[in-house]
Amino acid sequence: MSPALIAGASAEAKDKAVKVAAGPVKLTGLNPKGVAPPVQLVPMAPRLSTLDGKTIFLVSDGFPGADHFLDQMATWFKKNMPSVTTEYRLKAGAFPDDDPKLNAEIKATGNAVIMAIGH
Amino acid sequence: MVTIAFKDLAKSTAASRGMPLERICFTPHPVWGKTDAEMYAYLEGNDPVSGKPLMKEVTDALTQPLTAEEEKTGQVEISMGPAVYTDTFENLQQYYLDNGMTDFMQIVIPTEEKLAEMLKGTSHKPDEIVGKMSPARGSYPDWTFNVRQVAINAVMAGAKPEYLPTILAIAETGLTSLSSSTNSFATAAVINGPIRDTLNMNYGIGAMGPFSQPNAAIGRAWTTLSRNLSNSGIPGQTYLGTLGNGVNYNNLIIAENEKNSPWTPLSVQKGFKPDENVVSVFVGFSISQGQGGIGLGVKPVPQYHEAIAYNCIPFGPLFGALIVCDPLVAQGLVELGYKTKEQLADWLQKNSLISAKNARSTLFANRWVPDPKTPDDSMVPYYQRADAYNFVVVGGQTNPYHMVANMSYRVSISIDKWA
Repeated sequence: MSPALIAGASAEAKDKAVKVAAGPVKLTGLNPKGVAPPVQLVPMAPRLSTLDGKTIFLVSDGFPGADHFLDQMATWFKKNMPSVTTEYRLKAGAFPDDDPKLNAEIKATGNAVIMAIGH
Repeated sequence: MVTIAFKDLAKSTAASRGMPLERICFTPHPVWGKTDAEMYAYLEGNDPVSGKPLMKEVTDALTQPLTAEEEKTGQVEISMGPAVYTDTFENLQQYYLDNGMTDFMQIVIPTEEKLAEMLKGTSHKPDEIVGKMSPARGSYPDWTFNVRQVAINAVMAGAKPEYLPTILAIAETGLTSLSSSTNSFATAAVINGPIRDTLNMNYGIGAMGPFSQPNAAIGRAWTTLSRNLSNSGIPGQTYLGTLGNGVNYNNLIIAENEKNSPWTPLSVQKGFKPDENVVSVFVGFSISQGQGGIGLGVKPVPQYHEAIAYNCIPFGPLFGALIVCDPLVAQGLVELGYKTKEQLADWLQKNSLISAKNARSTLFANRWVPDPKTPDDSMVPYYQRADAYNFVVVGGQTNPYHMVANMSYRVSISIDKWA
């Protein structure tokens, strides 16, 4: 993982050591950054060996157009992988909120999830 | 599935949440507003990042076995960079700028000496934790920060030590002034209490403009600390505002003109005493002029309430209304019968109406719509609650004008506790 993806310019700042330029007056400036929390790596879920006969949940987080896009994806599966069952759901809550009820439903009745984010 | 516009955001967010190799597939952008055929063509086409057939990539993502890297667990510490940087004044200016620590204008270099002077503005210890902040709460990890780190950012923004308690209170709200949203949000801080005069804040002519050091520096510090204490404001990663917003330079800093207001100060409405120093923060789309409102030309008494209602018509329902009134407007509204801010809010909530059809067609209507049984031609309140409307009195009484901001109240914090 690239820490730069998480810390942005702060990580770059470390990589680029400050070059002390020639000149009579030098100042020492302080780092104005806060503290980022450590990242706990989360192992990804095991993959399916096949999608045949499986149920895939198509989940929108509510951005405009995601529902429409997933509707077309359901159509794609119907045409190209007819043994796949798709179930559309709108995730509850604001965009970043977890939806434990939906997660439980997917765990109980689904095999995979495709989540659409963006608009 | 993520649209290509959010490639960097998606990857950095997955990494910060502990899944740096999450299998993300990309579509062209946008999907919003596209026809069925256009959407389907996206699916039949290639992922614009990998260049491979999109749906093949999607099905592979679900079926290809995990690699050892994808199964990794453990903890990764994040570097925050060196503690100090030593160089000439010019090179340090460039260094802070190049590393995204500024608002792209020259800063005051935060030396130990200037920090020590700034810290005289508070009795709190430098290592005391002030709070947490992120570019969008819940979407990014919260960064933590202490008094010292806030003070360093206050120095950079050109603040004086006596401004520090107000800046600490703003930092404690945890509200970034550089929200990651594609909407290019703006923020406002309303300041109430005697500190407005102690700091010589401007609440008269040009109150929201660049005519006062405390107003300017406190507002600038909000953006500086948002950038450095929460990782906000990295375009493409933690800032996605498509148009950007000039208000973000130093935000709307509004010291309420309590002396000339006929109404209760905002802080008192929020439960504080009149002699307490308080900052109240708002976030939303932005602020716009109010001179075009209907009713302002009515003689002899302009119908200010009608004008405010009219000017709020373009508002999106994602946020409430912050109405900024010159004292002349507030006094005029009192003469029209609105003795309190609450009475005016109540009238606006009942009389600012939108057809159910239009409400359903509003952007973000997927989050707020009238009851499905409501007929299309029924008129429904624009806001469901009167407290969606907040009012602040400010200005120099050179004309009875108001402005309207599509912004919601978030929280009020005591400034005194940070003294």
